[in-house]
This record gives sequence, structure tokens and C-alpha cells, in this order.
Amino acid sequence: MQCKELESLLESEGLEQLDKDARLHLATCGACQGLVADLDSIISAAKALPAEVAPPDRIWISLRAQLETEGLIKEPAEVVGQTSVWESIVAWMKPRTFATAAAAALVLAAAIFLARVPQRSAPEVAKNPPVLEAPRVSQPATPTPATSSAEVHTNVATQKQSGIKTGELAPSPSESASFTLNQAELDVPDMQLAGNSQVDASLRQNLRTLNAFIAECEQHLKQNPQDELAREYLNTAYQQKADLLAAMMESGRGDN
Amino acid sequence: MQPTIKHRQSLSVWSFGLLLFAASTAIAASPEHQERHFAVKGHPVVVLQNIVNGRIEVKSSKNQEVVVSSTSIADKVAIDMEQVGDRIDISASSLSSSQAPHEVEANFQLTVPEQTELQLKTQTGLIYVEQVTGDMKLESVAGDVHLKEVSGYIIVKTTGGSLVCTLCSGKLEFTSISGGAQVLQPSLTNVNLMTTSGNILYDGDFIRTGLYTMRSGKGLVEVRFSGNDSFDLNARTNLGVVDNQAAAFLKPDTHASRHTASRYAHSLFGTVGQGLAKVELSSYSGTIRILKRN
Repeated sequence: MQCKELESLLESEGLEQLDKDARLHLATCGACQGLVADLDSIISAAKALPAEVAPPDRIWISLRAQLETEGLIKEPAEVVGQTSVWESIVAWMKPRTFATAAAAALVLAAAIFLARVPQRSAPEVAKNPPVLEAPRVSQPATPTPATSSAEVHTNVATQKQSGIKTGELAPSPSESASFTLNQAELDVPDMQLAGNSQVDASLRQNLRTLNAFIAECEQHLKQNPQDELAREYLNTAYQQKADLLAAMMESGRGDN
Repeated sequence: MQPTIKHRQSLSVWSFGLLLFAASTAIAASPEHQERHFAVKGHPVVVLQNIVNGRIEVKSSKNQEVVVSSTSIADKVAIDMEQVGDRIDISASSLSSSQAPHEVEANFQLTVPEQTELQLKTQTGLIYVEQVTGDMKLESVAGDVHLKEVSGYIIVKTTGGSLVCTLCSGKLEFTSISGGAQVLQPSLTNVNLMTTSGNILYDGDFIRTGLYTMRSGKGLVEVRFSGNDSFDLNARTNLGVVDNQAAAFLKPDTHASRHTASRYAHSLFGTVGQGLAKVELSSYSGTIRILKRN
């Protein structure tokens, strides 16, 4: 038997199925012994690799909440433990493609949200107070940035309690967008981003800047819900945050 | 005597070995320079994706070719260049898992025909473009973008980097989270600047029939116009103030009959000249400053 024959036999049959001639050749050929040793080490290394890690449940909860909010799925079923369309979506999504899908969902959610928010019409512009406008708020809003993971968790928990998950109360588009973005942000703290400390620092710093600004606008809008300018800024900040998180996920995925 | 000679010989061998090692290390770590020329026929499109750090400098020449000069450390960065017709694709990616920024750096110097379309993307280095005419999309995470005498539909998107646009013409769109924008002596017919926390400075003329929108969430928005300008102004801020230092030049808004004479207010509507261009300034909590250049 020649080395090439043994090589093709290894490819087709594997190590266990070698016949007598092949074993005889293997016993006397150093090159083929090296090949078999390499194959052995590859197989051992492959077995030692961990199984694919499933994405955390909160991601599915977030996506489900968003899809329910948008009316794309209607059945108020539990996320875990049921055979549903949702599960088939879950099964379809592999961890490897998760980051892309999540990023796309974010952008989609933000786009739907922005499309739903009523734009300022011409009559509304005409109604604007002319000349010198008085200040719209008596007290400036205090920034309450949700910069840490713990704070984001708190926000999410609060929103869950307020009925977003169960669908008891229909969330406003603003709450829905905020919820989805906060959910997506949960994965970012543990993520190695661009593999570059300067870029990572910049991305994280800008996320903090956006969170602080969003918190400030949300606080202001609670007191002044009719403030169109503040709402415009909030919508833009949501869009920027969705873009930033998508970029961060993309960076993190590129490193993995 | 014999042991001393042997000792000296041994020292010499060791010294030579060390020297050789140091030299080889220095060669391995020293930046590698490469230059490639791509002949083009019409208006080329240059796409550069710099996934690592580094500066991108683009200048124009009369020659119908794109010259790409790059400097990087060979075993840390992979640089690929490809020409497909008049499109030149360039990419730089990291081969290193190191977190040290200077180790994963690729700097580019491009010389392109005057009329060239650009799509440049980098992480932290400066993007500098001079005397190029053509649509361009420039993206950076933390690096600044400096443009000089460029013309076309210019889109600049940064996360934290700032824009300085000098003598630009055409249409400009800028979006950033914390980066600022300075637009100096422009001939732009359409400007849309948006930053969440950066400052905006527009120092130049407003072209008649042009549309100018400048928004900053928390930063300063400052506009310096000339006495010959003609525009309608709409300035609004939620929590900041409008600092009107050009009250003498602002007439009541001839199109919407809104005007304020007060220097500090939350909104300001007025007209300069005939009001041919439209200027919209807003800030959520920053100051909006309007003044006339001397």
C-alpha cells in the first residue's frame, strides 16, 4: 500500500476502519504515522471544544416583547416551554447569527418606533408660540443616566412590572423602544468590542453619554409630554443608541 | 592565559548573538511601507475599510491613477488591495490579539484623481481629505475628520470624532454622538449637522435657496453670518438660551411674523436680508449663539 492510498482510506473510512494492509503500511511508514498522530490530536481538540452556547433568555424575551408590541405575534404565550411559532424562530436562530439578527431587530424596532411617532405637522408649527417663548419647564430635569448594567437591570425589571412582558398594559412606543434598547444593552458590558482599548473606551463612553441624554429627555417628557422638540431629540437619541449598540454587537461578534 | 582567550571568544559569540537577535526583532517590529498604483479611466471609487487604528490621508493629483501608500507592522496588520474596473477596494485588519493600540495601526496616504468618489472607514485615526470632488462617505469611531476644499455630497458619521470642514461645497451631512462640527468658509447649499453632546460652529455664508439645519442635544450651536447673507432664521432650545448677538441685523420674520428683540430667549425667529435661505438651529439644553462676522 502507498501513502496516498492510506490517506484516501483515512478520509473515507476513518481511523477505526483500517484494514490489515493499511495497518501494516502504517506500522512501517513514519510519514503516515505523523498524519495519523495529527488526525488524533485534531479529533481530541474538537472533542474538548465546548458546545455552542445558547443566547440568554432575556434576549428572546426582549424580541418577543417587541414583536408583541408591534402586533407581529398575538398569542400571549410563555417564552419557555411551549411549541410555538416563536420557538421555531428560536430554533432557526443560531448563536453565530444572533448578533446580526439582534442588531437588525434593533434597527427595525427603532424604525417602526420612529415611524409611529407623529411627526410635527404644518398646522402644529403654525400654532407655535410666536415671539418670545417662555420656558417650558419650571425645573430643569435632573439627568439620571442608566450607565451601569445594574441600573439597566433595574430599568428592565421596573418595566416588566409595569406590564410590558405580560401585555396587561400596552406600552407606549417610547417605553417599548426604551425597553428593547435596554434589553439589548445587557449583553454589552461583558462584550469585548473592537479588540482595541481606545475604540472600546470611546464606544462605552458614548453609550453612557446617550444613556444620560435619554434619561434627561425622558424625565423632561414625563413632566412636559407635549414638548415636541424634546421628543424629537429623544427619538434621535433612541436611533443613535440603536445604531451604536448594533455597531458594538458587530464589533464584539467580529472578535469572537 | 588559555581560559581568558576562551572566555573572550565566548563573550564575542554571545554579543554577536544578542546583536543579531536585537536586529531581527527591530526588523520584525519596524513599520513596513508599501505603495501600489492603480490606473483608472473615469471617475474612480475608492473604498477603504480600516478595521485597525490609523490615519487616512487623501489628496488629489492630475494623474489618472490611484496611488495607495500604506505603513503598518507586517505581522500585526493584513492589508488587502483589489481593483475592479474603476473601483479600488482596500482593507486593513488586525492579525494581532494585542490590546495595545499602537501595535495594530495602519496609516494610509492616497493620491486620487480630482474627481473621485470616496468611502473611508477607520477606528481612531484622523481622516483627512483635500481637494477632492465627488460624493464621499466618511466614518470613524473616535477619529476626527478634516476636510479641505472638497466638493460633493459629503456624509460624515462619527461616534466621538469631530469634523472640521474648510472651504467645502455641495451638500454636507454630519451625525455624531459626542463629536463636534466646525464648518468654515463653506459654499454648501444643504447642511444637516446633528450631534448629541458636541458643539457646532458654522462660520460662513448661506447660499440663497439653501437649507441649513444644525442640532445639538447638549452642546453650543454657533452661527456667524455675513452682512450680505439672506436667510430666515428659526432657533429653538428647550433648556438652554438663544444668545442673539446680531439683533441689529435680524428683522422680524417676514414670512411668519415672529421675532424677538430680547438678547436671551428660548426661541428666536427672524430674517436677514430677503430671507432666501432657510436656517434652523436647535438645541435641547445647550446655547444657541447668533452673531455677525466683522
